[in-house]
Amino acid sequence: MSFLPAAGVVMILVGVASYYATRSLHGFSTFSGANVAIGLALLLVGAVAQARRFRGFTGAESRRVVLRWTAILAGALALVVGIDVAARGITSRIDLTVDREYTLSPQTVALCQKLATLPGDKIEIVFFEDALLAKDVRLLVAAYADKCPAIETRDASRKAPPEAARDLYTTTATTVIACRGDLCDPVGYPSERNITSALLRLSRDRAIRVYFTVGHGEIDLASESDVGYAAVAALLRNQGMEPQALVGPAASEVPADADLVVIGAPERDLLPEELAVLERYLARGGRLLVLAGAGQHSNVYSELLPRWGLELGDGVVLDQAASPLLKDPTPVNLLVHLFAPYDPVTRNLSQRTMLLLPRARPVALGRKPTPDDRLEVAAFASQRAWVSQNLDRALAGAETAPPDGVAPGQVAVVATGRYGRGSAAAPAEARIVLIGDRDFAQNRLLESLYNRDLLLNAVRWLGSDEQGIALSDKGWTPNQDPLTLQQTVAYFYFLAFALPETLLLLGIFAWWRQRA
Amino acid sequence: MIRRLWALARKELRQLFASPIAYVVLTVYVALTGIYFFQHLVSYNQLLFVYQSEGLTAGGFDQGTVPSQINVLNEVFVPSADDFGLFLLVVLPLVTMRVFAEERANGTDELLLTSGLRPFEVALAKHGVTYFFVLLLLAGSAIYPAVVVLRAGLGFEHLVALYSGQLLYGCAVASIGLACSAFTSSQIVAAVLGYAIPFVLLDFAWLSNTVSESAAALLREVALLSHYGSFARGVIELRHVVYFAGITALGWLASVASLELSRAR
Amino acid sequence: MSAKIEAQRVGKRFGSVVALDSLSLEISAGEVFGLIGPNGAGKTTFIRILTGYWLASEGDVRVDGVSVTRQRFRVQARLGYACEQPKLYADHRVDTFLHFMAELRGLSGARLRGAVDLAVQRLGLEPVVRRHIGVLSKGFRQRVALAQAILHEPAVLVVDEPTVGLDPAQQIELRRILAGFKGQHTVILCTHQLHEAELLCDRVALLDAGRLAALATADEIKSGGSLEELFLAKVGSHHETAP
Repeated sequence: MSFLPAAGVVMILVGVASYYATRSLHGFSTFSGANVAIGLALLLVGAVAQARRFRGFTGAESRRVVLRWTAILAGALALVVGIDVAARGITSRIDLTVDREYTLSPQTVALCQKLATLPGDKIEIVFFEDALLAKDVRLLVAAYADKCPAIETRDASRKAPPEAARDLYTTTATTVIACRGDLCDPVGYPSERNITSALLRLSRDRAIRVYFTVGHGEIDLASESDVGYAAVAALLRNQGMEPQALVGPAASEVPADADLVVIGAPERDLLPEELAVLERYLARGGRLLVLAGAGQHSNVYSELLPRWGLELGDGVVLDQAASPLLKDPTPVNLLVHLFAPYDPVTRNLSQRTMLLLPRARPVALGRKPTPDDRLEVAAFASQRAWVSQNLDRALAGAETAPPDGVAPGQVAVVATGRYGRGSAAAPAEARIVLIGDRDFAQNRLLESLYNRDLLLNAVRWLGSDEQGIALSDKGWTPNQDPLTLQQTVAYFYFLAFALPETLLLLGIFAWWRQRA
Repeated sequence: MIRRLWALARKELRQLFASPIAYVVLTVYVALTGIYFFQHLVSYNQLLFVYQSEGLTAGGFDQGTVPSQINVLNEVFVPSADDFGLFLLVVLPLVTMRVFAEERANGTDELLLTSGLRPFEVALAKHGVTYFFVLLLLAGSAIYPAVVVLRAGLGFEHLVALYSGQLLYGCAVASIGLACSAFTSSQIVAAVLGYAIPFVLLDFAWLSNTVSESAAALLREVALLSHYGSFARGVIELRHVVYFAGITALGWLASVASLELSRAR
Repeated sequence: MSAKIEAQRVGKRFGSVVALDSLSLEISAGEVFGLIGPNGAGKTTFIRILTGYWLASEGDVRVDGVSVTRQRFRVQARLGYACEQPKLYADHRVDTFLHFMAELRGLSGARLRGAVDLAVQRLGLEPVVRRHIGVLSKGFRQRVALAQAILHEPAVLVVDEPTVGLDPAQQIELRRILAGFKGQHTVILCTHQLHEAELLCDRVALLDAGRLAALATADEIKSGGSLEELFLAKVGSHHETAP
């Protein structure tokens, strides 16, 4: 091989290798680019020089052999490329995961068939190919593309999301969103269950009906003042939901068309009959969103919620960490940025997305009504928070540090509960979201930071009916702790050293035999 | 023909394992994969510890509640598979460089090609033995991960998917190296080309940012790594199998062409 | 078993270099045919074309009417070739190497074992049969090369410079072995050793600059003086190296 092509190959190799070695620091560097460019040039010059030296074939038969094999190679290359291009359209696959993670369940496939007849705007799944989880999720999205032809799936970049999704907050973990017309749903963690839930939500042929209890000093959805809650009603309507009033004393049951009931920070006790109505509603798989204001007392907090395992504390949460960032730097204005990972209510919130919860009350988990119920705290104040029982001092901003005897620590302010209920013939899941604050949803604060997202997430999760298609989580529960550290080291020494050592000894033996 | 192929294959195996190089390559690969798998496993253990520690239980986390997405598959297995693919790229040219080039340099290709053997038989035997060596490499490196992932309940089938992908990928890379070896009598040249071509084909990331979107998409389709990822996640997709089989077949055909063309000098 | 070989206007070019120029020969079945000539005369080139390793630029060689260009595998099946500077697998033992070559030749089972044993016996390889080829002396390596060439009882045996680099005793022994092939195979002996060609060959062709310079029978050589005189007469002194 003459010098020029050899040098060219080496330079290309160095250029590409240096790119891979340094790409975490910067992209394609000048050094890498120069090597590749010069290497290509040298290859070209070498090829031209070789071609010029060619003095013709050494005979008719030689020419025949060379031309035949050149044609065979070119034809084979074309054939391989053609087959590869054709195979791109083939979606045949063998899913060998333990829980068939990339094979859509029959329920999802049935839903897809149902969605094929959906009137109006079609649903589409948007896949962010540059998201952190993209590689893991691509196969699942491809399964939707294959089995759900009625749903359009398309790739997008996080730098250029669809128009309808611009209002949605997306992080680097946001991998899939579902959209229908102007409405987009953040799927959350991109599992089949969550994607199908989003499809289900978007395909609802009727709006989510949200019933608000009234008559006990709850939040006023009609009030346009700064401390009113008209913005909540407007937000729900914009999202295709229908806020309705649940007139407490007159209602003997929660209407059958209710997708969820909101108890918006009552200041008085509900009647026993009203509590019973809510209990019966929850027992048949109802959904409840409870807001709570500082200093309020109601049997909703003291009787209803504890029976469902959720405790609302008295006092107010103060947090030293939040205050310097606010115009009104008092510890009572919580800047919440710690969330339970993958909780459905806080699923797209992270350390970079904050909630402003002024005058929040602490929430805690109590005794589960049944062992299989799932209770979880979803959002926390920082490690420097504490609960103050002196409301006047706290609300006035006079308490800036924990009193003696009170140690600061993380305090939860949002909790969720899931309860398997209904009957054997018609199983259902009751859900409760308890937010220890009501002020975050006021007209003046709903659009602050990510308060709106918290409310919408809660309402969407409570209002979704994926239970209707009984899509269960995939069956495999990974053993997350397969080896202790000690076992890991033991295996390492035994297998990762002993085996190479054995091979090396065999090699030495082979070398010795060769020399002998 | 079968008998001749088998005789050739035995000869190749004998030559392969008579030299220390095969053992050194096996040792290096098994050691590298073991060390990197161990590093991933240690990091994963540390992550589990952080999740289960006191600091995160304050505020009401259930003790031991680690999100199910944090598991040995996502945190150890899949990242390790990417490492293993790179290591194959590093060691295979050391094996393939001598396969044809040494015969040509020693003149023993004349012995083979004048004894009634068809060039495609020679190429088939040499390629077959090299693919068998790739299988040995993978088998040696599989013991450690297999123990861990089977304990994690990942399932034998998932391991089959991963190692099918590695075998296909390894055979494709080896095939490229063998084709390079077939066109030269210098093992050094064969090794350099055997490194250069797969590295360039690896993922074209070095070129993607400088070309148009559609060209970048096409390059991604051609790149080796684009077709490798799904195997680690437990899925065998036909189009990826076709891709790797195509490269392997092309490499073999190029080797045959080189032997045929050597007559036409 | 032997075969007739016909070379018809065989030519070979490497770019502008003409290695063979319209060479035509006929070699009778069972004949021991010698090819002599100075370095670069085209002897090895012709051998490589005959064995199918290289393609002729023009012309063709036929073995019992079968074209090497078109049906080289049929020709190779009837041909045994011991090349110049024997190309052998140094890391093989003699017996495993012969076993391997016999398998390549399509032999198997008892026939294979018999062929290997016979080749070992004919070439006197018994003392070294279990030794690695890489540690053998040059003489024994030549014998191994010859042994693999006769395993399948070829009709044509092509031997290229078998005694190069051997000591006199080894040369004598090898010539004795080659003489033993007479009548059983058509033998083409390519050699620089004129004396060897005189002793062994029925006919000798002298090549020079790719052409056939002379063709003579053993009797014609003897009656004309010696092969050396013929060589000098035809090739001349311009091939002598400068002091």
